[in-house]
Amino acid sequence: MGNVLVWVIWILAALACVGSGVAVISFTNPFYSALALIGNLASLAVLFLLASAEFVAAAQILVYAGAVMVMFLFVIAYLGGRADAPFAGGPQWLQLGSFVSGAAIMIAVIVALVTKANDGLSSSADISRSFGSPAEIGRLFLTDHLLAFEITSIVLLVAAVGGVVLALKTEAESEAESEAS
Amino acid sequence: MTFPNLLLSSGANGEPWWIAIVKAFIVINLVLVTFAYLTLAERKIMGRMQLRYGPNRAGPYGLLQPIADLVKLIRKESFFPAAAIDVLYIFAPFLAAFTALCTFSVIPYGPGWEINGYQINGYVADLPIALLLIFAIGSLGIYGFILGGWASDSKYALLGSMRTCAQLVSYEVALALSVLGVVMMSRSLSLVDIVQAQADSTWYILPQFVGFVVFLVAGTAETARAPFDLPEAEQELVAGYHTEYGGMRFGLFSMSEYINLITLSALCVTLFIGGWHGPWFPGPIWFVIKLFVLLFLFIWVRTTMPRLRYDQLMRFGWKVLLPVATLNAVITATLVVAI
Repeated sequence: MGNVLVWVIWILAALACVGSGVAVISFTNPFYSALALIGNLASLAVLFLLASAEFVAAAQILVYAGAVMVMFLFVIAYLGGRADAPFAGGPQWLQLGSFVSGAAIMIAVIVALVTKANDGLSSSADISRSFGSPAEIGRLFLTDHLLAFEITSIVLLVAAVGGVVLALKTEAESEAESEAS
Repeated sequence: MTFPNLLLSSGANGEPWWIAIVKAFIVINLVLVTFAYLTLAERKIMGRMQLRYGPNRAGPYGLLQPIADLVKLIRKESFFPAAAIDVLYIFAPFLAAFTALCTFSVIPYGPGWEINGYQINGYVADLPIALLLIFAIGSLGIYGFILGGWASDSKYALLGSMRTCAQLVSYEVALALSVLGVVMMSRSLSLVDIVQAQADSTWYILPQFVGFVVFLVAGTAETARAPFDLPEAEQELVAGYHTEYGGMRFGLFSMSEYINLITLSALCVTLFIGGWHGPWFPGPIWFVIKLFVLLFLFIWVRTTMPRLRYDQLMRFGWKVLLPVATLNAVITATLVVAI
């Protein structure tokens, strides 16, 4: 009975994921697109939960659906959610190109799935209890993936400093502002 | 216990699944009753502190006042502004109330019992990421407030929701950092484990006093209560994000704010004041006593402190509270590793 429940939740979450993904690109109002993106991230988190990756699921909700998307909505609500005209279509070759590249990615995914499905994707039952737990992820970050972890932290620091620098007014700008007022 | 296992097994720690459902039902209703009487207690206590009586007409000592309020809110006409976006306008209070009620599920309130051969756990769900879950659901709850303010299509509501959003996002960082010390000392994100760790050593309010104070201050801001009730400053904004709401839709918003306060106090009890542990009385009674003390503290602060200015609020959050919380986390990390 429980197994059926897992399938039902998986199908619902997967449908919600695809549906909200389509909604993100088809709404003309950016506010609704942002809302659909939140729904997309939340349904992805459910898929992570089903894959026993609780920490990733919680981080997904907390960081992306929670913090990052709040900023998106904040800006859109302040600027006023003006509806933009939907993409009216560029030149003919652009549409053809996007279709071909989309199909190419699709084929690559299918080929990868078919060739790997026999061994790599088998759902073995020998996942340890600690898999996906915060402690296990922390251990991996500080042992096997230390370099990537540290490089990411430097990139984030650079981004934070860059944000401060961008927000700082130069002397010329603040002088011009005080003269104007 | 991982999530697929939770679905596959009959329940956690040998507890039949239907007991978990019954418990969830009881806990939700107890939280709702606490909310109803918290509003009465707040009005009574504030009244006494301001040298007046507070509500005392409905029933003996005004004890039926919450019921009267509920009946009034439900029977009011549920209108909405003509310019409002109706789907989001109706959906927003539900989102706020749902996320507020959800979070109580991971708070432990007792040691667990065995009655008639059935195992009954002292919590609705024990997750290895319980603490993260509370913050994650709390961050989703913000959307209820933003959507409500935006969908009302009113400048007061929009400004109120912008303020709510900016304040909640700012203080969420300090709130999350303030509990980091507790997590490092107990080496777990599961609230059940954290309570157990405090029973084995000492209540974390002693070694983590700085974290406790930061948690209380950031929590006051997180629940938008005085002196941090800028999002609802009557003099400037009429009422904040729920300006255009009336009837039970307003009631749901108000309910979610009070339930967030209750959950936050319960979380504080769990993280810093030993959870349900205490001498003589059974666990749930100690839990409720500690919860009520904290709730009284919040009401007391509300009657005592004047409201901050908006720039003071932001400066305090980012330049005082956040550095203190960070320093506390770093020092705790050093000590935990050293000892």
